[in-house]
Amino acid sequence: MAIATLPASAWDKEKAGVLLQRAGFGGTPQEVEALAKMQPWQAADSLLGPPEIPHVDPPPSILKPAIGDKLRTDRNRLKLMDPKVREDKQREINRALKAEQEKRLTDLRGWWFQRMADPAKAAREKVVLFLHGHFATSEEKVRNPAVLYQQNRLFREKALGSWSDLVLGVAKDPAMLNYLDGAKSRSEHPNENFARELFELFTLGEGHYTEKDIQEAARAFTGWSVRLRSKPGEVMDEETHMPSFVNRPAWHDGKPKRVFGKTGNFDGEDVVRLTLQQPAASHWITGKLWRFYTGTPPQAELHKELVAAWEENQGLLRPFLLAIWTHPEFYSLGSTRNRVKSPVEWLVGLCRQLERPLPAPAIASEITAQLGQKLFAPPNVKGWDGGITWINTASLQRRYEYAGWLVGGTRGARNLTGMDLGRLAVQSGLVEIPIPTIEGETKDEKTLKKEFAQKRNAAARQAREVLAISPAPLAPLAGSAERQDPDRLVAHLSTRLLPGETAPPELQARFKKAAGTAKPLNDAAVRQTVLAIVQSPLYQLG
Amino acid sequence: MPPSAKPSWRSCKALFINWDERRRTLNQPELKTRREFLRTGLLGSSLCWTVPGFLQNTMLSLHAAADGQIVQGVTGKDGNILVVLQLAGGNDGLNTVIPVGNDDYRRARPTLGLREEQVLKLGQKEKAGFHPALAGLAQAFGEGYLTVVQGVGYPNPNRSHFRSTEIWATATDAEKASSTGWIGRYFDNACAGCDASVGLTLGSQSPQAFSAQTPKGVLYEAPGGKRRRLGADGEPEADGSMTMATDGDLEEGPAGGSIGDIPGSAGNINALDFLERTEMDVQVTQKEIAAASQRGKNGATYPGSSLGKQFALISRLIAGGMKTRIYYISQGGYDTHTGQANAHERLLREMGDAVAAFLSDLKAQGNLGRVTLMTFSEFGRRVQENASGGTDHGAAAPLFLAGGGAQAGFLGEMPSLAARDLDDGDVKFNVDFRSVYATVLEKHLGVKSDPILGRAFPLLKAYG
Repeated sequence: MAIATLPASAWDKEKAGVLLQRAGFGGTPQEVEALAKMQPWQAADSLLGPPEIPHVDPPPSILKPAIGDKLRTDRNRLKLMDPKVREDKQREINRALKAEQEKRLTDLRGWWFQRMADPAKAAREKVVLFLHGHFATSEEKVRNPAVLYQQNRLFREKALGSWSDLVLGVAKDPAMLNYLDGAKSRSEHPNENFARELFELFTLGEGHYTEKDIQEAARAFTGWSVRLRSKPGEVMDEETHMPSFVNRPAWHDGKPKRVFGKTGNFDGEDVVRLTLQQPAASHWITGKLWRFYTGTPPQAELHKELVAAWEENQGLLRPFLLAIWTHPEFYSLGSTRNRVKSPVEWLVGLCRQLERPLPAPAIASEITAQLGQKLFAPPNVKGWDGGITWINTASLQRRYEYAGWLVGGTRGARNLTGMDLGRLAVQSGLVEIPIPTIEGETKDEKTLKKEFAQKRNAAARQAREVLAISPAPLAPLAGSAERQDPDRLVAHLSTRLLPGETAPPELQARFKKAAGTAKPLNDAAVRQTVLAIVQSPLYQLG
Repeated sequence: MPPSAKPSWRSCKALFINWDERRRTLNQPELKTRREFLRTGLLGSSLCWTVPGFLQNTMLSLHAAADGQIVQGVTGKDGNILVVLQLAGGNDGLNTVIPVGNDDYRRARPTLGLREEQVLKLGQKEKAGFHPALAGLAQAFGEGYLTVVQGVGYPNPNRSHFRSTEIWATATDAEKASSTGWIGRYFDNACAGCDASVGLTLGSQSPQAFSAQTPKGVLYEAPGGKRRRLGADGEPEADGSMTMATDGDLEEGPAGGSIGDIPGSAGNINALDFLERTEMDVQVTQKEIAAASQRGKNGATYPGSSLGKQFALISRLIAGGMKTRIYYISQGGYDTHTGQANAHERLLREMGDAVAAFLSDLKAQGNLGRVTLMTFSEFGRRVQENASGGTDHGAAAPLFLAGGGAQAGFLGEMPSLAARDLDDGDVKFNVDFRSVYATVLEKHLGVKSDPILGRAFPLLKAYG
């Protein structure tokens, strides 16, 4: 079965805009124009960049926590302290560790946002974002930013490669082993959590396995665990510094298991192989990818095409993604009108379209979190439901409010209202937290709390200035020609901000009202027009 | 409103949307509250980037008097109310309502089992008592406002969080799927002309139970979520503590386990239509909620927990005359695979204390008779504890019905824990959860249950 592809004759700027929006995070009219000049397949391929695995420098604080490591080695000495003092000391340490962890996570999020906003990296990062939701793992359980970085790196490296490599990588990934309890699973008491989600959410979907398959597969995975840190004497480089996968043969259940009707002395690799051989496997991942990129599940006929394309490419992600992105259905109106941007897509996309810098990492993270998508903290192992579940009365009003911040800036009397500036100051490293030492003086909880509160408040005032969002520059949005005519400005901005969409008349009227009638349009009128467009239901689609 | 913000407020006039026109296009019935809303014209300000959010206390206080008169006229004080409390993650029913003098229980729970002297006894003849952290609920039981329904579940139990939550939410047979939830079907069947605020979820995710042909139900969180209180000079207060700036500011506790609130999705509905409707609902309901929560007063002391604050808010909304029929809140963290003893105790204490305060507040208000609170969890936990000091996913479990209307006491039989009576190591159900729904729908909300649940289920002897 051959998969349908868009003919070159049907390729135009409008479709190029849709491609840039969906395969990446949107962009400027110049980028759209460049894509429109290529053939469809070439345009899609260009977004993914060269086939080599990109070299990536992680955020520095991920590799070298200032407090974390020192305190871990001190922990044993805590036990020897007087219980009353120990409790205070422990609290002091916990506070410092928590503050540092928040800061490191914020650095990690900001670092990832920057990569998404980079046009050369955007399409691969979007796949990474899909994988983060698909193999959802949360810091709320894992509690270790370095391990989450490792997982994020795994996704990036395998994003365009073979699906089976990726699934196997995830099965051995320290963050996942921790999140779904595999790390502690031993032959005496196999933990079924990972095996269940592997089948239900990651590879097959419900109804394609039995409870017995789960129990037996869980036995096969026993022994796959995590080594927390390097042994004494080992070089503390990036690899050995971090927790790593370890196979513990003593924990492994070596007896025969029966999985998917086959019996053998299976281990985890065997189970992953057997799972991906199930007919449901191709169906599941192709449907999930199509839905992620288009917002709607594929119809039965289309789904057959997708499965054929997947199998023809032997489960390689890059050619399959190109097949999706050049499929005629990808550009049909039914599909463009039905995809709600996720909060991360919304934020990064808005900044890209406005050609404005991203907000500071703590603000950017907080904005997407408030809109329902906290990176590295999906709500549960199912990830984010997406689609219209991103939208509710609370989240929509926030989208409008934050859009106002990103268009008009937040300087002024009520700068960043509603944000917990003290917390954002901690996350931004504006609150200096001394590294507690075991030998050092132990302050009681009340004193500590007071000191911390004072610092936090001082930093909160500072944060209001440091973290303020600047107004979007207007030069890229409206030239002197567009400023001469409100209708022309509305048309110009609609094309830029609503690729592939035509605003219905009532919405057009709303945009035009914002633009006003004065000629030429002043800065305020241009800003109002931009705002009217991004504060509309239509802008939430993409 | 600080004077500095005023000019920018006015400069945003260009953004005013003609809501009369929008409403006509959407063919919405004109409601009193909507008319009032349009007249006060708060809308434009909220679309300005310099004016934060919709819930500005200063603006609200300007309009508070007017709000009072107008909303009072349409409150429907006579209507009964259901509050659904989801215990997300799978609550260990066996360590919530504990069988007394049961050898099977003792054998299955060598370390996690609660000893007889720890259990809160509920009466001479009862064969079960409460976890010691549930003192508040035990008191409510004694006063006659609490019903325990034993052994609630469904045939062919599913042990996946998501699927089982979905089954409870959609109220379908375990083998069937539905795109609408049971509360959503209640809205479709019984509340066709109501405002979206007939259902109200505290939190940021709409529960799957609310999914409907015509989606209703709003979510409430203050814009900006957690925020700190600002002193008179606009600076953070000196104590640096995290305090609630508005009534809706709900502090979320850290999620103990991997399962927090479980989100849902509406049925097959065009995304653009949905967005347009939501935009309209935002305008109207946020204001209704803020006004009602200002009008209502709490007559009981609530625990400072997140759940306590949520119940305090619901109580104020009820007292304030909000027209909401279904409130939905969720407490996460019940997925206690490891180290259950402490985590579970903390969760139950938070839940029990908050519910007890809520009940006594409603009683003081005189609203207890028209409110039922129903708890549920997607499943109970395995009878046999695991090696990590926790319990794995199980099946049937007890649930609570609380409120003045519900008949107090135990309903349903405590299922046997003998090995031969278990279903793959799990408790078998005696009461189908849809019997509980049917009872609440028919006897409390006063609607026929079979159009909502697909068929008739036997009613419980509650609400005698």
